[in-house]
Amino acid sequence: MTNGRLLRWLRPWVFPVVLVGAFEWYARRAAALGSDALAPPSAAAKALAGAAIDGSLWTATGFTLGTAALGLLLGAVLGIALGVALGLSRRAAQLGSVSIEVLRPVPSVALIPLAMLGFGFGVRMELAIVAFATFWPLLVLVQAAVQQVEPRLLEVSRVLGLSARERAFKIVLPAIVPRLFVALRLGVAVALVVAVTVEIAANPNGMGYAMMIAQQSFDPALMLAWLGWIGIVGFAVNAGMLMLQRVVSRRMGVPS
Amino acid sequence: MNDSRIGLYRVGSLGVLLSLVALWWIASNAGWVSRVFLPTPQATIQSLLEGLNLSGGDGNGELLAFTRATVGRMIEGWLLASLFGVLLGAAIGVSPSVRAWVQPTLEFIRPLPASALLPLAISIFGLNPGMVLFVVAFGAMWPVLLATVHGFAAVEPRLSEVARCLQMSRAAYIWKMGLPNAMPDILAGMRLALTIALIVAVVGEMIASQSGLGQAILLAARAFRASDLFAGIVLLGLIGFASNALLAFAEQRLLRWQRP
Amino acid sequence: MIAAPAPLTARAALQPGAYHAPAGTAAQAVPFLRFDGVTIRLGGREILSPTSFDVARGEFVCIVGPSGCGKTTLLRAASGLVTASAGEVRRNGVKMTEPSREVAFVFQDYGRALLPWRTVEGNVSLALEAAGVPAAQRAPRIADVLGKVGLAKHAHKFPVQLSGGMQQRAQIARCLAQKPELMMMDEPFGALDALTRQSLQDELARLVREDGLTVLFVTHDLEEAIYLGDRVIALQANPGPGRPSLARMIDVKIPRPRDQLSTKEHPEYLHLRRELFAFIEQGHD
Repeated sequence: MTNGRLLRWLRPWVFPVVLVGAFEWYARRAAALGSDALAPPSAAAKALAGAAIDGSLWTATGFTLGTAALGLLLGAVLGIALGVALGLSRRAAQLGSVSIEVLRPVPSVALIPLAMLGFGFGVRMELAIVAFATFWPLLVLVQAAVQQVEPRLLEVSRVLGLSARERAFKIVLPAIVPRLFVALRLGVAVALVVAVTVEIAANPNGMGYAMMIAQQSFDPALMLAWLGWIGIVGFAVNAGMLMLQRVVSRRMGVPS
Repeated sequence: MNDSRIGLYRVGSLGVLLSLVALWWIASNAGWVSRVFLPTPQATIQSLLEGLNLSGGDGNGELLAFTRATVGRMIEGWLLASLFGVLLGAAIGVSPSVRAWVQPTLEFIRPLPASALLPLAISIFGLNPGMVLFVVAFGAMWPVLLATVHGFAAVEPRLSEVARCLQMSRAAYIWKMGLPNAMPDILAGMRLALTIALIVAVVGEMIASQSGLGQAILLAARAFRASDLFAGIVLLGLIGFASNALLAFAEQRLLRWQRP
Repeated sequence: MIAAPAPLTARAALQPGAYHAPAGTAAQAVPFLRFDGVTIRLGGREILSPTSFDVARGEFVCIVGPSGCGKTTLLRAASGLVTASAGEVRRNGVKMTEPSREVAFVFQDYGRALLPWRTVEGNVSLALEAAGVPAAQRAPRIADVLGKVGLAKHAHKFPVQLSGGMQQRAQIARCLAQKPELMMMDEPFGALDALTRQSLQDELARLVREDGLTVLFVTHDLEEAIYLGDRVIALQANPGPGRPSLARMIDVKIPRPRDQLSTKEHPEYLHLRRELFAFIEQGHD
């Protein structure tokens, strides 16, 4: 039995290890031929360690994660608030539908130059774009979740004479927690992707920028190190959110 | 709610949008927000008309060319992405053993921002339109691939048994059961791929100085031409809206069998 | 060669009447379908202990029993969807290990056994496509089989637009299109309401008679089993070590054609019904 379990533990790693190994071999040959576009993964790992030691890894990662989190906070609070409001009132939802359909399809990256204009470079600009990008999915998902709250519970709240605030906080929000976590998980993924994208496109801070700088200084090892690190961070954050979502779903008695 | 009331709410919804536009009009014209950041609606429309060569005046018509470039990149990349995504996804999804070996790696790549591949592509291919197209296609491929794998993997077990009872060949099984079964997932993946294609096209234009709406709005911001900037944003919003609406319509036609 | 009595293993020979071929069937050296010591173990548990019996061509055999007695598993083993842990199933003397087009299988969850993206016509066509029937010949055969099950007017509808009974008929139509030798039916009417069930029972009896089909029909409904079958085989759950799953085999000597009213008042029907009910009750302590 232990042999089978060992295999199951190792199996996810076989394919990527083979790929990385092949890339290592190819990149070493390319480097030997004088290419400065690629670097072998071993060099990238060294560069990553170097960045970790001199602190640049942590500053940049901290910036990206922190800004993404702040942007998500803003976008989520607004999105959830409006989502609950529109979910509870069919009339409001109908009235808001055209405006939402017109504003939602604007790609968040299109607002990068505008944010640059208004906020310059730095935290505020990136935060604003992340907030815009995360606002919409949260609005839509929370609105749908609220619309699907067991109508019986809402009738109970009317019969008990709960105020609108009480109804929102005591009945609606607890009822939508499992689906809210699914929406937040999506929001986290979007926040991270948008933050890195803004850094690649314009903002001279964070992981995306560090990767761009490395490429522009013809340091392929460092560039690949950042690329890999961005992947690892993204994977870890998403996996963490998935675990959190599962724990919450189980606690609330919902089959995940 | 009967039809007349629905119509009334639709008009009301439009009214809400118009009042937002009115708010914009007041805010910019009255100077509540500096016109450097918030151009007036009239100025925006003016820029749009000139840029699209619709004003009959001395419009330079650049916006039309930029729009064509961006949309072209988006569509080309998206088509390539869909084709390869479906082919690869089918190859992987159809075999549980291949899936077992490869899926964890796919799950690792899933959260990676597509634009993060731009620096790597730049160092390999240099700054040219082909490089941007490559990243657009590569980035947009993943949602389609993952969706296709999922669609093929999740065939209703009862249908697989029917295929065994009928002694269907493997090819027939893939073509007649796997693919139609995966279609809803594939279409959803293609919809996501289209939004990614637009985003990567715009970012690619911004950082690789390729002619298109992305570069146009970046330059407009740098030159403090707010109305041109807003015109570009409006166009990008329109592209996003139209592409999504068309795809949703196609999805509806193709998935008619889902609705009673 | 005279018809040999069924190769009942000593353990299976519990019931008073041993199997013998229905009157009128030609003596066969090789029975059409033979279950020989079919045993099925899953996850360490013996779902079905060694079961043996024969089925003659054209017979309608009903298999009943409480949940967990292995009746569905027996059917799936017979059609090759599941491999028996021990013993074998032979059709025309040939061991059955894989599904074959000549053995049609009607699933209980009809909704999941139909392709939702194809119309009724398209679903029936699937069987013909799999059999390699050229396109030109398909349309008349589809129309013929849809006419037999009464779905001719609904040929262009998608499964989601059909009622439960119609979906099950569509599945049966697809199975008929296979022109099978043998039809396995796993509680096909279990998920339907009583009225639909009754009309489908009569339709099925008619179709089977018209085409001379051999049917293995699993059901938990004793009355349905007696009404439809030439023979009823009762299985028991958890028989215990050394005891067979096959507990009783009864011949249904009620004349055909049968109908819902008069047959159910026939003395033989009432007698069998009482016998089977008593037997099932026994098995319940």
